[in-house]
Amino acid sequence: MPANSPIDRSAVLAARQGLVPARGSGFNNILSKELGDWFSTRRWIVQTIIWLAMINGLMAFIIFVVPAMDPSEQIPREEIASQAAALYFSFSVTFGSIGMIILSQDEIIQEKQTGTAAWILSKPVSRQAFILSKVLSNLLGGLIFITVLPAAVAYIEISIATQKTQPFLPYLLGVSIILLTLFFYLTLVIMLGTFFEQRGPVLGLSFTLLFGGMIAAQFAPQLAYILPVNMQDIAAAVALSQSLPPVAISQVIFTALWCLVFLVMALWRFSRLEF
Amino acid sequence: MSSAADSIVINTEGLGKSYKGIKALDALNLQVPRNSIFGFLGPNGAGKSTTIKLLLGLIRPTTGRASVFGWDVQHSSVEIRKKIGYLAQDPRYYEHMTARQTVRYTARFFYSGPKNLLEARVAEMLELVGLDDKADRPIKSFSGGERQRLGIAQAQVNYPDLLILDEPAASLDPMGRHDVLEIMEKLRKYTTIFYSTHILDDVQRVSDTVAILNHGQLIAKAPIQELLSGNDGGTIYTVTLKGSTDQTQSRVASQPWVQNVSVEMQNGQTSWSVCVNDPDTAENELLRLILEDQNVVVKSFGRKVFNLEEVFLSLIEGSN
Repeated sequence: MPANSPIDRSAVLAARQGLVPARGSGFNNILSKELGDWFSTRRWIVQTIIWLAMINGLMAFIIFVVPAMDPSEQIPREEIASQAAALYFSFSVTFGSIGMIILSQDEIIQEKQTGTAAWILSKPVSRQAFILSKVLSNLLGGLIFITVLPAAVAYIEISIATQKTQPFLPYLLGVSIILLTLFFYLTLVIMLGTFFEQRGPVLGLSFTLLFGGMIAAQFAPQLAYILPVNMQDIAAAVALSQSLPPVAISQVIFTALWCLVFLVMALWRFSRLEF
Repeated sequence: MSSAADSIVINTEGLGKSYKGIKALDALNLQVPRNSIFGFLGPNGAGKSTTIKLLLGLIRPTTGRASVFGWDVQHSSVEIRKKIGYLAQDPRYYEHMTARQTVRYTARFFYSGPKNLLEARVAEMLELVGLDDKADRPIKSFSGGERQRLGIAQAQVNYPDLLILDEPAASLDPMGRHDVLEIMEKLRKYTTIFYSTHILDDVQRVSDTVAILNHGQLIAKAPIQELLSGNDGGTIYTVTLKGSTDQTQSRVASQPWVQNVSVEMQNGQTSWSVCVNDPDTAENELLRLILEDQNVVVKSFGRKVFNLEEVFLSLIEGSN
């Protein structure tokens, strides 16, 4: 270290007076850092490629390539829109939910395990700001890479396949159903991360709910009223302005309510954690 | 707020923490004066880090309460942390971030700008700890000592009114330790430093006050000089003599300001440890009293200054 480091009281105070105190409880700073992890690294390129390939690439293969290879696989013109929409929403909801679980599994667990959560919380940061910044940054990441980009490309793909522009507002509403589903699994994973110390239970419970919920709803149809097990069908029906399944409204409302419950529980639990 | 209260930065009253019935900290009563360097000692598991975490709001007390700058640690934790710089015992950061990014990230919790002043402060801190040439390397490539230096930089970036350091010299080589102590001495002018350490030499060198913890209990707290010069409240003078000392010993022991005289024979010389309860009178009278006897030759005379390690071990063994 330099032998004559200048720590002069008056210089310090002068410099200190020039600096503007930060407002809030650390939310903006953490959010900025979290968004930087998404957008200032190679992550955004990787995520763009993954989701466009997985959702739109598969869609393109089924809609355009397969019929070209085998004319008997040609989809009747009047069914293209509904089949294409069904493909898109099915891929988006299923792959997107899996992706959101995997992408957000470490948000809380890793911070606890590595000790960075304790380091951050030793700064003037509220526990609520910590959790909310994690939720918002991942929601934005999911919004852009899992939802908006593939939805935009899928809209183009469907329009090309049907050779006409699809009604935009219903399509947008259908896409918002995807986002709600992603938010459900995001808040679920964040909440589980505050309760558990290992990734295993977080992933296990999340995937159990994702796949087990769909299976269970076939044997206990009442579950479909309160769990997001048919969101891809609901989203497709909304996008195509078709009649909604009977469980649609209840399922959407309960999914939104679950998101709120998970978020509140995550905030409560994290406020009680000791580091 | 009264001026007396203003002079106390950290105040704990019966502060305690238990984990599943086991007391990690037991009814700690502590006051840390403003602009002091307060050393916090104790063996592993004594409760030092627990105390620090309670002050920072990272854990909740089981009993008692604590305040920092007059604010309760449970109700005003965020406000308190705005004025604190903290270095953890085993500092952890985001491995993918560089040193500069880490210090900048820390600074932004306290200041929003202007950007040029923030960057200047970040650069100043990195230069202060000798990381200016490694500022743009990812932390994952840092050694333990470099992480410690980074920790010191991020702890000071916000001009803290209270610097809490948990083992600040750990992982540092002797030069690094020397630099840390030098920084602490310089910072004393405008900040209070509360730090825990195992390195007793460092405590002896820079601390104003020392508190010693063992098994979660405070077993000693005093200004460093008082701790080093006294033993169980008494001051000890060591005298080495030649000749017939019995009469002189009786005369000394009969003085009202003398508690006791311990005698050892070594190599034909007599060594006394004279424990006194009035250091000022002893300073004026003891040597004169001894020299009255012309049959006695004084080989050495002086006030015993305890090595902190002796005091520490004595207190720890006593409390065990």
